[in-house]
Amino acid sequence: MNNPARTSVLIYTGISLAAALLFLLATYATGISYPAVARIGGAVWVFILSMIITMPVVISNVNKRHT
Amino acid sequence: MPVKEEKIMKQISIPVEGMTCAACVARVERALKNTPGVADTAVNLVTGKVSITYDPQKVSVEQLVKTIRELGYQVPTGEIHLTVRGMSCAACVARVERAVSGLPGVLNVAVSLPAEYARVTFYPGTVTPAQIREAIAGLGYEVAEKATGQEALDRERQARRQEIHRQARNMWVAWPLSLLVMLGMFRDVWILPRFVPEFMGNTLFLWALTTPVVFIAGWQFFVHSFNGLKKGATDMNLLYATGIGAAYIIATINTFWPGAGFGGKGATFFESAALLTAFIVLGRYLEALTRGRVSEAIRKLLNLQPKTARVIREGREMEIAALDVVPGDVVVVRPGESIPVDGRVIEGHSAVDESMITGESIPVEKKPGDEVIGATINKTGTFKFEATRVGRDTALARIIRLVEDAQATRAPVQRLADLVAGHFIAGVHVLALVVFLFWFFYGYHAFFRPDSHFILSPYSLAQVGVFGFALLLSVTTLVISCPCALGLATPSAMMAGTGKGAENGILFKGADAVEATAALQAVLFDKTGTITRGEPSLTNVVPAPGFSQEELLRLAAAAEKNSEHPLGEAIVRGAEKAGVAVEEAEEFEAIPGHGIKARYQGRTILLGNRRLMEREGVSIETLLPSVKSLEQDGKTAMFLAVDGQAAGVIAVADTIKEHVPQAIARLKKMGMQVIMITGDNRRTAEAIARQAGIESVLAEVLPQDKAEEVRRLQARGLRVAMVGDGINDAPALAAADVGMAIGTGTDIAKETGEVILIKADLRDVVSAIEIARATMRKVRQNLAWAFVYNSLGIPIAAGLLYPSTGLIVSPELAAFFMAMSSVSVTLNTLLLKRFVPSMKRGQRKTRGEAAQPLPGPALR
Repeated sequence: MNNPARTSVLIYTGISLAAALLFLLATYATGISYPAVARIGGAVWVFILSMIITMPVVISNVNKRHT
Repeated sequence: MPVKEEKIMKQISIPVEGMTCAACVARVERALKNTPGVADTAVNLVTGKVSITYDPQKVSVEQLVKTIRELGYQVPTGEIHLTVRGMSCAACVARVERAVSGLPGVLNVAVSLPAEYARVTFYPGTVTPAQIREAIAGLGYEVAEKATGQEALDRERQARRQEIHRQARNMWVAWPLSLLVMLGMFRDVWILPRFVPEFMGNTLFLWALTTPVVFIAGWQFFVHSFNGLKKGATDMNLLYATGIGAAYIIATINTFWPGAGFGGKGATFFESAALLTAFIVLGRYLEALTRGRVSEAIRKLLNLQPKTARVIREGREMEIAALDVVPGDVVVVRPGESIPVDGRVIEGHSAVDESMITGESIPVEKKPGDEVIGATINKTGTFKFEATRVGRDTALARIIRLVEDAQATRAPVQRLADLVAGHFIAGVHVLALVVFLFWFFYGYHAFFRPDSHFILSPYSLAQVGVFGFALLLSVTTLVISCPCALGLATPSAMMAGTGKGAENGILFKGADAVEATAALQAVLFDKTGTITRGEPSLTNVVPAPGFSQEELLRLAAAAEKNSEHPLGEAIVRGAEKAGVAVEEAEEFEAIPGHGIKARYQGRTILLGNRRLMEREGVSIETLLPSVKSLEQDGKTAMFLAVDGQAAGVIAVADTIKEHVPQAIARLKKMGMQVIMITGDNRRTAEAIARQAGIESVLAEVLPQDKAEEVRRLQARGLRVAMVGDGINDAPALAAADVGMAIGTGTDIAKETGEVILIKADLRDVVSAIEIARATMRKVRQNLAWAFVYNSLGIPIAAGLLYPSTGLIVSPELAAFFMAMSSVSVTLNTLLLKRFVPSMKRGQRKTRGEAAQPLPGPALR
């Protein structure tokens, strides 16, 4: 993949989606009965925060590798 | 694959100085081609440039430059000064520095948040100023070449006004609507139901009020954070945007879809979204107001520059713009006028107020031959002077540059704060995620209580579900963790400190100089020119029986009237000062190594050393005790004989400057070790040291060994300042922890020395240390406050108190604390403006204001 911007998007979105999915799975794994909105809302919040956390790290690393 | 290889190759063209022939060309080309990673190189001797095609993954520009330099050639560096607007925190500073230093060919980047200034050093040909500007603009900041002089002042004022105006407009939107939202949210509480109409509590009404607050006043945070994220960078705006956005979205969902499970109609945190925006906007507004004040020192200096000058051209006097004055122009200055440029007086006398440049409150007498400094004020007479330095070369322009450069540097103490703040934003989001996960999976089920409330609010959280509760704590943590105060703590104090120094005629060359000066333990003074005036003065006149002091002085001065010897000049000056009429001798003969022989009013006068008296057969036995005593005091004693009879002794010596004992006494009181260093003999040195009040003397030290003495003191664990004239003492000044170069008004461009004292007054050494200590005290207070705020605020916001009290911090309260923390840091820094160095107390302040006597240490 030669386009660093696209590479970055794929990586940080992938990581964030994985984190959100993991969160969703965890809501089932704990045995507590969460309302659906809490599960989905929580997953969305985890996704947003994960995006914010991973974006700068991934972009700068990918850019570094391409320069 | 060759195609791929071409893609990653880069080409640069570096200027190289010192290449003179084809052999040089071959040498440079060979050396570069042998460097791993270099694919091709071509040297153009005519243009003095080397074109290099290289693989940036294998070799850096710095390595290429090093290779060229190792061959003995020079690679010049360029520097640009930029104004960067829109930075709000240390994270922004880190972003700009990272983006610019990542460009190939950039050597050094220094960014100052309070000064909104960036200085970039780079290798021309590897990167262009336009690329540097683009890199900064790409992060979403406004960037422009830094203007100088009046232009800079105007632009800076305009930008400040615009920012204040923009934030004021946002305040007008945010505050009235937020207060209405708050009233609406709490209309069921206390006595409010009696006054607040019911419709104000309607969630749709509240939503309608909150929406413009978030999308008009708060829009800036979304735009800035999006621009940053696009470039892979995060800053404070992202914290605000996430906080405001999350509160607003939850409230909106709960308004329109109350059954969605986010807490329902009882959990519409409209006041959180609205007040959060309002407080952040308030913080921005106050910051815009106060930030300009911290950089007031530069503005004051810029304001001093006169706009017009009266010059004599083609035989007539004409008024022209001060910028159009050229060296060699004859400038006329009348009483009350500002001197437009630097120059030398050629006609007339006057007294000039130089307080704005040197900090010296007493007007300085000016006569033909004396130097005048641009921007100082002519007080009494009209005089003409020849312009010597104009435009960017004037003392004032150089002072402004030095102060600006100093304000853009970073103190060692700031590095930790920057490191923390630079990684804070990502860290805060990680923390927000951890807080959310903790309260979602464990905390809510373990600790939630139906009587939950926000701190300082009657608002009940009973209806909030697990997601709403965890989200609330997560958002509050985001908001309270903003490291604004941390980012502002050091640079704002350094700006105020260096500005305060400039006001008092003390130029710190960087923030590290301020920090090092504050930590000094010993001060080493050079003797000649620093403690003493550096020229002999008449000190004693001891007449033999039958002669009076006045007669002796009159005879000696007449004999020396035509002498060009410094000792003779000192006698003539001393006689004139004593009011003795100095006449000319009829005959005068200098006898090398002995003294002089003159004839005055028919009498033969001999003035010189023992050898002269012995040669001429004059008996001096009776004078010897006086001579011995004078010599013990380090003075040079000369015998005077009239018509073969000893008439007395005249002594001259290099005398100490005014206020030296006062300055030394104060330094000792401050706990400093004070030492004098000189190449003079021990007897003279000790005599001067005694007068100055110095006990430690390093005498008979050769100039080249002075640096060694400095290192010896450092080896004893002392942090040493060397105070000298900056030219002869350059090695010692460089070796010391802090080199303090004493200037003489205009001569301030000295390269050696971290601190420049514009006027040759040793009391400024004391003032420099006091200002540096006061500045560092402010830095420590600011940092302590910022760290305490963050380290207390974050755990509380994350819900540490909740299990025991049932209370949590609301997002708007978090925003209030956050805004107050940076405002309080800036206000604390502004207190430094009141600081008056101890040696200046009681004196009249610059520009004619009376100094306020302050008790004890002027600043806590």
